[in-house]
Amino acid sequence: MYLSLRDVTKRFADVVAVDHVDLDLTEGEFVCFLGPSGCGKTTLLRVIAGLEELDEGRILLEGRDLADLPARKRNFGVVFQSYSLFPNLTVARNVAYGLECRKWDRARIDARVGEMLDIVHLRGDAGKHPHELSGGMQQRVALARALAPEPSVLLLDEPLSALDAKVRESLRGEIRDLQKRLGITTIMVTHDQDEAMEMADRIVVMNSGRIEQVGSAEDLYWEPATRFVGQFIGRLNIIEDPALRDRLGAGGGASVLAIRPEHVSVGPDGMFEGTVRKLAFLGNTMRLDVETSGQNMEIEIHGRREPLTVGDTIRFALPENRVRRLAASPA
Amino acid sequence: MTSVTTSPVRRRHLDADRVFGAAVVGITGLLLVVFVLVPLWAILKTSFVTPQGIGLGNFVLYFTSARFLGIVGNTFQVGISVTVTTLVLAYGFAYAMQRSCMPGKSVLRLVALLPIFSPSLVQALGLQFLLGRNGLVNRTFGTEIDIYGFWGIFIADVVYAFPHAFLILTTALAVADARIYESAKSLGAGPWRIFRTVTLPGTRYGLASAGFVVFTIVITDFGNPVVIGGNYSVLAVEIYNQVSGQANFSMGAVIGVVLLLPAALAVMGEKWIARRQFASVTSQSVPLVPKPRFGRDMVWLAYSIVIAAAILSLVAIVVYASFVRLWPYNLSLTLRHYGFDVQNGIEPLWTSIEVALVTALLAIVFVIGAAYANHSFPSRAGRFVYFLAILPAAVPGMVLGLGYILAFNTPGQPVYWIYDTILIIAVCNVYHYHAQGFLLATTNLKQISPTFDEASSTLGATKLTTVWRITLPLIWPTILGVGVFFFMRAMVTLSAVIFLITPSTQLAAVSVLYLDDRGALNQAAAFAVCIMATVIGFLLLAQLALRLSGVRGVSLVR
Repeated sequence: MYLSLRDVTKRFADVVAVDHVDLDLTEGEFVCFLGPSGCGKTTLLRVIAGLEELDEGRILLEGRDLADLPARKRNFGVVFQSYSLFPNLTVARNVAYGLECRKWDRARIDARVGEMLDIVHLRGDAGKHPHELSGGMQQRVALARALAPEPSVLLLDEPLSALDAKVRESLRGEIRDLQKRLGITTIMVTHDQDEAMEMADRIVVMNSGRIEQVGSAEDLYWEPATRFVGQFIGRLNIIEDPALRDRLGAGGGASVLAIRPEHVSVGPDGMFEGTVRKLAFLGNTMRLDVETSGQNMEIEIHGRREPLTVGDTIRFALPENRVRRLAASPA
Repeated sequence: MTSVTTSPVRRRHLDADRVFGAAVVGITGLLLVVFVLVPLWAILKTSFVTPQGIGLGNFVLYFTSARFLGIVGNTFQVGISVTVTTLVLAYGFAYAMQRSCMPGKSVLRLVALLPIFSPSLVQALGLQFLLGRNGLVNRTFGTEIDIYGFWGIFIADVVYAFPHAFLILTTALAVADARIYESAKSLGAGPWRIFRTVTLPGTRYGLASAGFVVFTIVITDFGNPVVIGGNYSVLAVEIYNQVSGQANFSMGAVIGVVLLLPAALAVMGEKWIARRQFASVTSQSVPLVPKPRFGRDMVWLAYSIVIAAAILSLVAIVVYASFVRLWPYNLSLTLRHYGFDVQNGIEPLWTSIEVALVTALLAIVFVIGAAYANHSFPSRAGRFVYFLAILPAAVPGMVLGLGYILAFNTPGQPVYWIYDTILIIAVCNVYHYHAQGFLLATTNLKQISPTFDEASSTLGATKLTTVWRITLPLIWPTILGVGVFFFMRAMVTLSAVIFLITPSTQLAAVSVLYLDDRGALNQAAAFAVCIMATVIGFLLLAQLALRLSGVRGVSLVR
């Protein structure tokens, strides 16, 4: 294992921000910490970076314990959410900063800064100050600055969330390409599931300071381990109505029954009946809110079909192989 | 996966950042202990030490004296009346500045700030020329106004305190949410009702804060009462007479403690109110921009001109008097008073400038150092530094000066060597105004995103490198501001340094006092003009430096 977290715990006063987290990363892997705000993902990243001291547990890099290494000695590159470029230094001096701290000689620094600015396509802006750049350009400089000292791990703390949707989209690809090209082990924190699914080799879904599930985007989507993961990644109907549960053979058991909206099949021979309460046409998809014996069911229909209006009654089926039985919380 | 339990207490390694943090906190903390706590302790000790041992003997002795009680009463009479009057006048002036569209705001503002640029006794000096026995009014109209006493102190201190209140109230009135005013108006509220229900409550913190500041500086002001108080004695003058005149240190210390109490209460009151202040302006607020309304603007202009004229007249007459041959008998113009052929000549002015420069430099290093220590190394020691750093706000200058004498004027003391040097005066100035400089620097440090610090450290920089390469370049306008603030205060302060000067370290502000005392009014005026010119000149230089380096929106006058 390249980077290992063992039983990592961080508390603020009486709040447990990171709760006994175990995780292993292989070299060159791109991992996303995904979860709602307050789930502890940023705190965990900061603990790894050395910006917060951990209360319990160990962090090992190639088997070496990092506990006594302050942030500046860990050689981890960090990109922050926004506004972290030093406003008093030019782009080139920002990128050179880490190299100067490492006492590289001038010629080597200049060469490395040029190389890094080429990589992020900002060579022409070397002499500018951060405030003269757009948000997207600033984050590319921040990336170049973090990568310049050849860090052993790259840590990205919601690097795209302060940017416009368009810029965000293009930077996603750029960061991913760069990461693959350099083969650098990377952890990115995000609350955006699309971002995580598009970029990460593996996603770590977090909730209330704990890891809910670790897996590839597909694993998480098709095989959610918990109700939380199922609802956080994609949409999910939780079947709560006792009548529905009965007819699916679940009875009064503790397990959570759930089905994704696109897996509900609409058709005249469906076993269940419901009334359309809301509908939204989204082009390739039609999304319906259907009221059925005591609960709401979200249904997605693909392809063209005869028009529906609010108030219509439709029949639908819940295919058995599509209904998932989930744990209420991680094991 | 194996679960590892480690003890929550980690071994602390000797790390460059830890050493740096300990050094910054340690050095600034130690200096605060030596130069704030030790002198205060010396005062307390002296006030409780009697020939019969430790006890309240001194307090009983003085508080049973009718004369002493009279002086305490006088001090409060002046303090309360000046505070109320100054608040009302300055609120109106600040309101006119912020909420009307009257013309000439920048000139009026400059005039209102004039008293800050001169020693506190200059107002009294001007008053002498204007309303004194041989003053302009009595000579012109044949009246016999006697300004010496309560009314003299009252007028002089209102003018002296005016800019301090004005600056605080301007800030308070500067922030307002236009939406609230619009809703009040749309609900049918008239101007008076809006003022009572929106404006006044929105600025009550500023009002309280200004009230406490004014009260504190008035009851501890020494310059104006000593010049124009006549037989009307106040505590600040009494402490000077007892200590300098009769070397009565125990009574001086008792008065010191008595002066410390209301000032400390006022400062605590201010903090108490500050905690109860809710943010009334949020990020969604729409700033209130006054719209021109001729009638209203002209009324405010007239009001402001009257106030400004009153302030200006006291300053202008001092400038005028410095150029006339012999006030009031021979009013022909001359430059002879600028020859400074009496007393120590011009020497004290140079000493003052030297002291002021040393004060500014020490303040930049140690006051900003203390703010940095408190900001960047949060710890129990850091909170102690914070407490000591703002403690001087509650310590009147005279009390601190007396404390320095009691604490450091003893041969064999570790810091005895600084006695009789300009260093002790500069150090006293630094710690006298420590709280203001500290809060100024702290506010600015808080505005710097903590991400810069973190980005810097993840890139491999030590805290020291970060300070040098990032923090200092970002806060240098504030550093300059702190330097200017301390330079100005060091040039004009009288109260703290009056006990610390020696024949070899005479100061300009004290020279004005001595010259006035021996009746050399014209020379006193000339000397006062030189002080004001130096302060304003220095301020303009600093302003120019800011302008040339493209920094805008930084106000150097505080």
